[in-house]
Amino acid sequence: MKSLIALLVGVVLSVTACGASDAATFSGPAKEIAVTIAGGAVTPPPGRIEVAKGQQVKISVTSDVADEAHVHGYDKSAALQPGAAASIEFVADQDGLFEVETHESGLQLFQLVVQ
Amino acid sequence: MFLAHGVGGRQDLPIPFAGAVAGAVIALLVSFAALGFLWREPRLAGIPSYVIRSSARIPQIIGLVVAAYFSIGLLFGPDTPENPTAGVFYVLFWVGLVPLSLVFGPVWRNFNPLRTLHRVACALLRRDPNQGWKQLSPRVGYWPATIGLLAFVWLELVAPARATLPVISIWLSLYALTTLTGAAIYGASWFDKGDAFEAYSTLIGSLSVAGFLPPTHPLGRSRSATPTNTRSTQKRNNRTTTPNDSPTAIPATSGKKDRPRRSIPNGTPSAISAASGKKDGSRASAPSGSSPAVPAASGKKDGSRASAPSGSSPAVSAASGKRGGTRATVPVGSRPDKQRVSHDDAREARKQSSDQSSAATGKLIWRNPLDGMAGLAHAPGLPALVIVLLGSTMYDSLSNAPIWVRFVQDSSLPAPVMGTFGLLVVIGLVLALFLAATTWAGRLGGSSPATTAGELAHSLVPIAVGYLIAHYFSLFLFEGQHTLALLSDPLDTGANWLGTANWTLQSLGATPASIAMLQVTVIVIGHVLGTVLAHDRALTLFPRRTAVLGQIPLMTLMVIYTVAGLLLLFAG
Repeated sequence: MKSLIALLVGVVLSVTACGASDAATFSGPAKEIAVTIAGGAVTPPPGRIEVAKGQQVKISVTSDVADEAHVHGYDKSAALQPGAAASIEFVADQDGLFEVETHESGLQLFQLVVQ
Repeated sequence: MFLAHGVGGRQDLPIPFAGAVAGAVIALLVSFAALGFLWREPRLAGIPSYVIRSSARIPQIIGLVVAAYFSIGLLFGPDTPENPTAGVFYVLFWVGLVPLSLVFGPVWRNFNPLRTLHRVACALLRRDPNQGWKQLSPRVGYWPATIGLLAFVWLELVAPARATLPVISIWLSLYALTTLTGAAIYGASWFDKGDAFEAYSTLIGSLSVAGFLPPTHPLGRSRSATPTNTRSTQKRNNRTTTPNDSPTAIPATSGKKDRPRRSIPNGTPSAISAASGKKDGSRASAPSGSSPAVPAASGKKDGSRASAPSGSSPAVSAASGKRGGTRATVPVGSRPDKQRVSHDDAREARKQSSDQSSAATGKLIWRNPLDGMAGLAHAPGLPALVIVLLGSTMYDSLSNAPIWVRFVQDSSLPAPVMGTFGLLVVIGLVLALFLAATTWAGRLGGSSPATTAGELAHSLVPIAVGYLIAHYFSLFLFEGQHTLALLSDPLDTGANWLGTANWTLQSLGATPASIAMLQVTVIVIGHVLGTVLAHDRALTLFPRRTAVLGQIPLMTLMVIYTVAGLLLLFAG
């Protein structure tokens, strides 16, 4: 499944690029999302987090084991070292729903809803 | 768990979610009420899907060539996201069969490379491909395809590493092995209801507006006779469709009546001749059993019943079967509640004869999709097949919901175990609801539960197709393009064999809002069509007095399915 999703990476990106005439110019504060992984459990539990199109997103992931966090669609990833927070930052310029997962443990951290 | 869920979601709905649900429920209730008042006689003629078979070498060759091309990536390509194999299998093939079958009918059998391989192998061995070592019992029905479909949806939705080449290869090898073994034992007819993908294409293709008539049939002319929707069942109305093309089969003395509707192949001559005096009312307007002209001996009540193939009396079906029926596929009314056994026999005969008549090239006709759906041959396992299709699509929606993700990740069991559990539970719930509703309906309407479930299974097909479209539309649109681009370079060597490698994805006018709108629309249309099919069938299944009452459980079922489906798609 992971590779299938990986295979889908870029789809939404290109799709929304086509209809990006309404390029949002969101000028609010950045959305900060912190996630902790311990013993295979994700805190806070996986859910949907909504951000505005064009908003800056800062994701901070702390894991107790080495892993890789990945934002599908935006194709952003960060290596996770045990105990150290890793961060992923990007501008949410495509609308849609994007899964944020770890690659080794295959955990879903949350779903990012951009609209 | 496809990313495509992301394009369009509750947030993108141009109308409030509660409004969409309320609108869908109102649409169902209004159509139910309107049907009760306005649609008082069975109207659906049941036009089976005709498919050009053995004469069509071109689709077979296309099927083999495409399968061979697919195998390049599968066998020799790198196991990376750049390999098109997973996209071809899950998107272009599995999802693509939906639009292909909706437009052209149950066409997969024409392309099915396994069927072609079996045919070639039989030709080399100088065997008749239709002749197996053993006779396949009619009781088997769609059960092998149901099991195959369950195996496929488990692979698609649950199996670990399901987009990787080893997993796909293993699954496809097992599938090919079992299917070809079945064909070797039981002959080519194994594919009809034993091959999951052919059965899937048959279900969806029944909704196609395209059908094929055998070349001998006097089609087209019947169009002029369309509006014979009167109650004048006694009136002869064969002016337009006298099946004069097969003179031997039609005794002049038969009390035959032709009530053609569009290009319905109204009287199977062989069947007609066998059951002389049979009346041939393939259309609504013929109230069952109301015509004294029908000889009791033929066991044939003037049916007007939807999916009843002509020849619903034992004599008729036997006769048409033996003759190898050039067109035993003719739908003619029958009373399923009176003629259960013979009904199935007739269908079996129809099946066989349609297989045998396939050497000739059919003629394209246009039909009401509902007539096509009502013409889907009933067979054991059909309800289970439809429910696996519907339930698995619902599970796919559920599996993307955060509540399910949390449930799986909090569990100490491995994700594939939880996924298998979830898939089976959702399918089981859909099945339980269906069985409860049909049992209740049968009780109210005065018909046995098993009969009711089997007879109403076809009404779930438009619902399942609605879900499939709603669920997979954006995936097919976008990932399909992506896969086509990857297909130019299956070995990931920078090649551009098909000239599609540099495609950029086009939105083709689809926006999250328009996709969401489409999703609601197709789900509602699917359920309304299902309601119409169930209503029409209930009119023949139940006595007139209880027909409307008997449908209340079915209506309840449709409302539950609609609300559940919309909730899963948008609120998940």
